[in-house]
Amino acid sequence: MKRKPLLLPYILILPTFIFVTVFTLVPLGSSIAGSFFRQKLNVPKYHDPSWYGMGNYTDLFTDSTFLQVLRNTGLYVLATVPASLALALLLAVLLSGKFRGQTFFRLVIFHPAILPMVSAATLWLFFFTPGYGLLNQLLRLFGYTGPENWTGNPHMSLLSLCIVGIWKQTGFYMLFLLAGLQAVDKSVLEAARIDGAGGFPLFSRITFPLIRRSFLFTSTIAFIAAFQTVDHVFIVTLGGPSDSSNILLYYLWQLRFEKLNVGAANTVTVILVAVLLAFTITNFLASERHER
Amino acid sequence: MKRTILSLIALALVLGSAQAADKVEISLAYPVAVTAPIANIMNGYAEQFMAANPDVKVTLIFSGGYGDVKTAVQTAIQGKAKAPELAIMLATDVYDLVNARLVDSFDDLAKADKTGSAYLKDLAPAYMGNSYSAGKLYGIPFQRSAVVMYYNADLLAQQKIAVPKTWVELGSAAGKLTVDGGAARWGLECSTKNPYWLFEPFAISNGQNIFTDENTVNFNDPKVVEAVQFVIDLSKKYQGMPAGVTDSWGSSTANFIAGKTAIIIHTSGSLSNILKGAKFTVGVAPVPGKKSASVTGGGNIYLTPGHTPAERAAAWNFVRFITETERVVDFSTQTGYVPYRQGALKSKAWTDYVAKTPQAKAVADILPMMGPELATNALSDVKSAFNKYLEMAINGQMTPKAAMDMAQAEADKALKDYR
Repeated sequence: MKRKPLLLPYILILPTFIFVTVFTLVPLGSSIAGSFFRQKLNVPKYHDPSWYGMGNYTDLFTDSTFLQVLRNTGLYVLATVPASLALALLLAVLLSGKFRGQTFFRLVIFHPAILPMVSAATLWLFFFTPGYGLLNQLLRLFGYTGPENWTGNPHMSLLSLCIVGIWKQTGFYMLFLLAGLQAVDKSVLEAARIDGAGGFPLFSRITFPLIRRSFLFTSTIAFIAAFQTVDHVFIVTLGGPSDSSNILLYYLWQLRFEKLNVGAANTVTVILVAVLLAFTITNFLASERHER
Repeated sequence: MKRTILSLIALALVLGSAQAADKVEISLAYPVAVTAPIANIMNGYAEQFMAANPDVKVTLIFSGGYGDVKTAVQTAIQGKAKAPELAIMLATDVYDLVNARLVDSFDDLAKADKTGSAYLKDLAPAYMGNSYSAGKLYGIPFQRSAVVMYYNADLLAQQKIAVPKTWVELGSAAGKLTVDGGAARWGLECSTKNPYWLFEPFAISNGQNIFTDENTVNFNDPKVVEAVQFVIDLSKKYQGMPAGVTDSWGSSTANFIAGKTAIIIHTSGSLSNILKGAKFTVGVAPVPGKKSASVTGGGNIYLTPGHTPAERAAAWNFVRFITETERVVDFSTQTGYVPYRQGALKSKAWTDYVAKTPQAKAVADILPMMGPELATNALSDVKSAFNKYLEMAINGQMTPKAAMDMAQAEADKALKDYR
């Protein structure tokens, strides 16, 4: 039997390989190397990079602002990822059956996903406005007279960002879960129903395990997106007040472009990539083990 | 035939590129930050300049705010790309821009200019404070503003309230003018989000600016701490301003125009917008205190490094052109920004304008009362420290004294590399 040429697979992956190398691996390698150097562009004696060893890491992990930013980011991820996934799953289940107006509801629920984040955040900034903001007006209808200053209150500013994030992303995640639900073999569900299963037990024991791969994929992109989303911070809170809503990517931008601290910015990049990589690998391994 | 057509095309291309090569091309990155028709005004100036200097092509790059222009310049220079020859960035960024090697000095160009010395002398000293670093000229004032107090003169007259001149008068006026706890009308709005700039006049009016020079800040000076307490009192004690950190930079001018707020502390850059919209007599005054005060604001024109002598010369000529007296007056009358040339204030065009618009004269009269805006080395770190702890004090998370002590400590830490 004639062997197929070995070169073809390499040629086929070459464009992707070049793209990933140029836009991911080289910048990442440069950031890893840069994280061991002290370079502050606005300080003459540190303008050019000089060896700093683990200095940038030590500086960051002893800096109260960075620790607050890490806490905020953790809270943001823990609040937005489970909430948007749960809502997305609920909406996907509700919209998967056939009923009148199904397309309309799908469109309405999906539409925030196609809005640019800046537009979504600007819209929500109006909702959050103290005094006449729609959100406060709505809450007052229910007799609520509590905190009004959503973005200026240090206990509510991060919550405001979470609300925007959940509203914006849920429809997008719903789409993947809906696709997963529609791919489930109807005969399996039919068989389960004949055996007397129904309602939540049918969903949790049969349907959900069948869409597990879709769910794992969606949870991975939701987790990554939660770390990557930053546009709404620029519009809604600017990380304030007093850094109460400052999250990792916004802090990275501040370090690099406002504080001109290249070394610290490289270090935060490495930390961010390490966290994302750890989650993705764990998620992948967990998923693969389950498959076996 | 085919050969003739191709030859003609080739000739046209060569001639076209030769003509383009004759022209010196420069660009100016411009932050469009306020609601004034600035893009049209600037395009008009560029066209006038190109008509008078046919060998120069000027391209204006309008992009976001001051921060966006700074980021664009940084990215271009550090990425070894061609940066716009000129950029309007915050005047207070001068030390960071020089240290980061993002700007070049105008010194040689000003010295080579026969009228350069007289020109520099005519620029208002209050606005030249942020133009030099280590004795070298880096910034030419442009789009300069001041923090002022706008008041609804009709409403104050109707309520028999005099224009506030002291803190107590401002606090009690704000309290009296507030209706229904602010739901119907606030007596005073002064945005307290990233509040250092609007706060500075309160400190200056109490006799102490928040900094002395590029390496010295006075955040925990007792007079500054008193000013922090007063800003808190405006809502807590006098009930005349929204409590807590409030981002009303954009909404306060709209509220003022709509009569929903009686007094606002804002930039003079909003003057033309306010005068166009308000259906009542608008008053303009300095910020009240032990002495009336204001603070400088706005941008400077900077020259970026790495350009040919011809490009640098064209850039300098364009700077001179857009900062000539007649255009300074024109720009100020159209936008509300403060005239930054002393000659402009004496010109007939300006005198005629202020005769019809006394509010503009009130802004110009504030010039001698202005203190410099916070400008230090490591500005972002210093500013962040001040804003962070001032916001904590305003939100009641720390006492003014404790907050300002923390801000001072953080700023001193950031400045130690320069001392």
